[in-house]
Amino acid sequence: MKDPFNMITCGVGGQGVVRMSNVIGEACARTGLNVLSGELHGLSQRSGSVVIHQRIGKRAISPLVPYGEADVILALEPMEALRYIHFLRPGGTVITNTALTHPPGETSELARKEIDGYVSYDEVVQNIREMGDLIEIDALDLAIEAGNALVVNTVMVGAMTALPDFPVEAEEVRKAIEVSVPKGAVDANLKGFDLGIKAVNE
Amino acid sequence: MALKDVMDTEERDAYMLTNEAVVRAALEADVKVVSFYPGSPQTEILDTFEKVLPHMDDLRMEIATNEKVALETVAGASMVGMRSLTSMKSVGTNVASDALYSLAYTGVKGGCLCLIADDPHCHSSQSEQDGRWFGYTSYLPMLEPSTPQEMADMVRYAFDLSEEFGTIVLIRTTTRVNHQSSIVRLGPLNRTPFEEISWKENRRPYITVGEAARQAKAVLMDKIERMKRELEGSDLNRIVLFDGSELREIEGNEEGPSIGLISAGPCYLYSIESLMKLGTPMKVMKLGVINPIPERLVGEFIKDLDRVIIVEELFPYIEGFVKGIAKDVNPDIEIIGKGSGHFSEALEYNVPIVTRAIAGVTGLDLPFDHEAHLEKAGELASILPARLPLFCAGCPHRATLWSLQRAIRDKENLFLANDIGCYSMACLEPMSWSDSLICMGASMGIGAGAQYAAKEKVVALMGDSTLFHAGLPGIANAVHNNDDITLVILDNAVTAMTGQQSHPANPKGAGGFDARKIDIEGVLKGLGVEKIVNISSYDAIANIRKVKEAIDHDGPAVIISHQECALYHFRNYRHRGGKIVPFRVDKEKCEKAYNCIRDFMCPAISIDEVDGKAQIDPEICVGCGVCARLCGYKAIGSTAVDMGGEDRPYIEVDDYMELAKGGGSQTEKEEGVQKEVSE
Repeated sequence: MKDPFNMITCGVGGQGVVRMSNVIGEACARTGLNVLSGELHGLSQRSGSVVIHQRIGKRAISPLVPYGEADVILALEPMEALRYIHFLRPGGTVITNTALTHPPGETSELARKEIDGYVSYDEVVQNIREMGDLIEIDALDLAIEAGNALVVNTVMVGAMTALPDFPVEAEEVRKAIEVSVPKGAVDANLKGFDLGIKAVNE
Repeated sequence: MALKDVMDTEERDAYMLTNEAVVRAALEADVKVVSFYPGSPQTEILDTFEKVLPHMDDLRMEIATNEKVALETVAGASMVGMRSLTSMKSVGTNVASDALYSLAYTGVKGGCLCLIADDPHCHSSQSEQDGRWFGYTSYLPMLEPSTPQEMADMVRYAFDLSEEFGTIVLIRTTTRVNHQSSIVRLGPLNRTPFEEISWKENRRPYITVGEAARQAKAVLMDKIERMKRELEGSDLNRIVLFDGSELREIEGNEEGPSIGLISAGPCYLYSIESLMKLGTPMKVMKLGVINPIPERLVGEFIKDLDRVIIVEELFPYIEGFVKGIAKDVNPDIEIIGKGSGHFSEALEYNVPIVTRAIAGVTGLDLPFDHEAHLEKAGELASILPARLPLFCAGCPHRATLWSLQRAIRDKENLFLANDIGCYSMACLEPMSWSDSLICMGASMGIGAGAQYAAKEKVVALMGDSTLFHAGLPGIANAVHNNDDITLVILDNAVTAMTGQQSHPANPKGAGGFDARKIDIEGVLKGLGVEKIVNISSYDAIANIRKVKEAIDHDGPAVIISHQECALYHFRNYRHRGGKIVPFRVDKEKCEKAYNCIRDFMCPAISIDEVDGKAQIDPEICVGCGVCARLCGYKAIGSTAVDMGGEDRPYIEVDDYMELAKGGGSQTEKEEGVQKEVSE
C-alpha cells in the first residue's frame, strides 16, 4: 500500500464534499487505518470553492497534502479539479464529475461582455490531462439511475474506491455509508456507490 | 457530524474533527456549564454541544451574546465549583480579554477552560492575531495541541490542572488544528447528575481592585512559577530524535546530531513530515505547553547544539524565549527562525515552506521542485474564473443592499461603514462597496467619527447578532450625541455567517429550546432612536423610497430590514412540509438586459449558452422572487402558476399548503422529502 495515500476532495459549497470525506474517514476508523484530514469550514455554504485534504496510512503526519503529492483528486465539479491541480502528483489521477457549475461571477462577466463565453468543459479537462490521468463520471446520470439525484457525491466516492491503489476495501466504505447517511437514503446511496465503482471498472 | 461518536459510551477509535474531540473530552471530564459565541474556526464546538444538549440533562449551555459574556458565564459557574468551558475565535478573545485578565487575578474553583482559536492566513478573520500573548501577558497557563487526539488529551488534563492551581487554563489552536480530523480514542464517559452547589458553604471572594488586586498579583506570580516547575516535567513537552528514517526516543547517553528543531501546534507536524522527506537526522523538541515556557527543559535541549531551528507561525514567540535562554546556556548557538530571515511572520505554513527552509539550512537538495510544478499548474488553472463566496440564493441581504444602492443612486455620495457578518460581502461583487470593515460592532463608532469629518452622509450596516454582540454601545452613543448616521440593521433572525445559530432576537436558544425573543425595534425605541423605518427585505422596489426617506433624515435613523436568513428559513420551511416553488425565465420575454445578473448576482441565475438568455436553475432557486421584481421586461415568473397558483413567491408554509391543495402533485411532495433526506 502506498503510504500515505493522499487525496484532495473538492467541489462547490453545498455539493456534499464534507460528507464525502467523512464517509472515507469513518471507513478508515472501522478498518483500523490511520487517517488525517484538513478542511476549511465557514464559507463553504456560500457557493464558494470547497477543498478537503485527506491522507491515509501510518506515514500520514500533517493534515495538508503538499503540492504535487496527491495520488488522486476527486472533484464534484471539473473546474474545481483544475483549481487544485497543483496538488496532484505527476502521473496522479483526477476523477471528476462531468457537470460544470459556473460561478455567478463568471455569468456576471459574460453579461457585461467582459468575456465571450463560459469556460468549456473541453478546455477544463484538456488542461487537467496535462497534469495526470483523467476519469470522467457522469455522476448525475448515475445518481438518477440509483434513484436519487442527490447521491452524486456517493457515486463519486464509489468511483474512487474502484482505484487499484485506494487503501480501503469497498465493503468497509459501504458500511461507513450505511452509518453516515440518513436512514431513508441508505439504499439510493449504496446503489449510487456501486454504480460509481462499476463506471470506473468498465 | 458524528453525534454517535461524541456520545458513545463504548471506548473505541472514532474519526473526529478536533472541535468535536473538544466536546467529547469535555464530556468525559464531566463538564457542566458551557457558553459560546460562534466564530470560525471554533464554531463546531458550539454546534456539537448544541446537538448533544437535548440528549443530556446533566449539562447547561448558553449561546452567549458575545465572548466576554461567555467567558464570564463559565467563570461564574467555576467560582461556585462547577467544571465549565468556553471557546472563542482569536479576535473574540479581544472582546473577552477584559474579563480574562481580572479572572487570572481572582482565580477560579471548578475546572475552567478557555479555548482560543487563531486564524493565520485570515481564512475567516480580520487579522492574523497571535493569541499566545494572551497566555503570557495574563500569567495564565496555555497549552497547544497538534492533533485531535492531543486536543482530547489536553482538555481532560486541563480540567485537572485548572482545579489543582485554581486557575483558568487556556488552550490555543490555529485553524489547521481546529479543522483537522483524525482518529481519536474515546475514553470512559461517566457523567454525574447536575446538582446545584451551596454557595454559602463555599463562599469566598472573587474580587480584584486596589489592595486586593495587588495581593492577587503576588499570588498569581507565585502560581505561574509553581506551574512552570510542575509543567517542566509534563509529557506534553517532548524531546525525540529523528534518526534519518523514523522518530524515536533518545537513548541514555546517545549524543545525536548537533542540530535541533523546536516547534508546537500544526508546525510540529509540518516539521516532522519535512524531516522525513529530507531524511536528515535532527533532535526535535515539541512544546505542548506554551505558557509558561519550560525554560529549564529548553535550556537542556539547546545547550549542546550548534544550531536550532524554530518553526512557528506568526510572531517569533517561542524564538524570543529561546534567544533569552540561549544567552545563559549557549550564547554561540545559531538560532534559525524569523529573526534570521528563514521564516515569515505572515500567513500560515505548510510542508513545502518548512521543507524548503530546513533544506536551505542543512544544505540538502529539495526532494521535489515545487516552483516549476506550481508554475505549470498555475498556468493551466489560469483559464478558470474565480469562485468567490457570495450571498446565497434567496439571501435577504442581496435584496436589501440592492435597494440601498438604488436609494443613494451614486455611492460616491456616501461613507458606508460595514460590519462583521454575511453582509460584509457587500465589499465583494456585485456591490463591490464598503468604506470601512473593522470588527464586530465597529460600524457605528467609525460612523460617528466619519459623520464629523466627512462631507458625505454616513450609512452603517449591522447584522442582528452583531447588534447584540457589540453594536448597542455604538447606537446609544449615536443617539446621545445626535450623530448623523443612518444605520441599516439586517435582521435575519440568526447568526448566519457561522451556521445560523440563535441570538437574543430569536425565539430559540441553545439546543433549540425556547428562549425569550428580544424585539429589536423595542430595544431601539428604548435607546431613544426617533426615526425607525421597518422594511421587508424582499420588497426591493418599494424599499428604495423607504431607505431614501431614512437617509434623508437628519440625525440618527435606523432601517430594520426583516427577512429570515434563506438557509435558515427554507430549511425550516421544508421541515414543516413546504416545498420550494422556484421561479423561471420566460424566454419569449427575456431581452437579455441581464438586470437579474449584473446588479444582483444570484447563484441560481446563469446565461443559456444556446440563446444567450437568462435561465434559472430550479435546484438552486428558493423562489424568493426578488429577481422577478427587478426585471424590466417582466420575463421572470413563478412556477406556481403550473400548480394553479398565482405568479408570486410561495415562501411561507401555510401559503404553500394552500397551493399544494389547489393542485400540487404527489410526485413533487416526494421530491421534497428526498431533498430533505439527502442533506
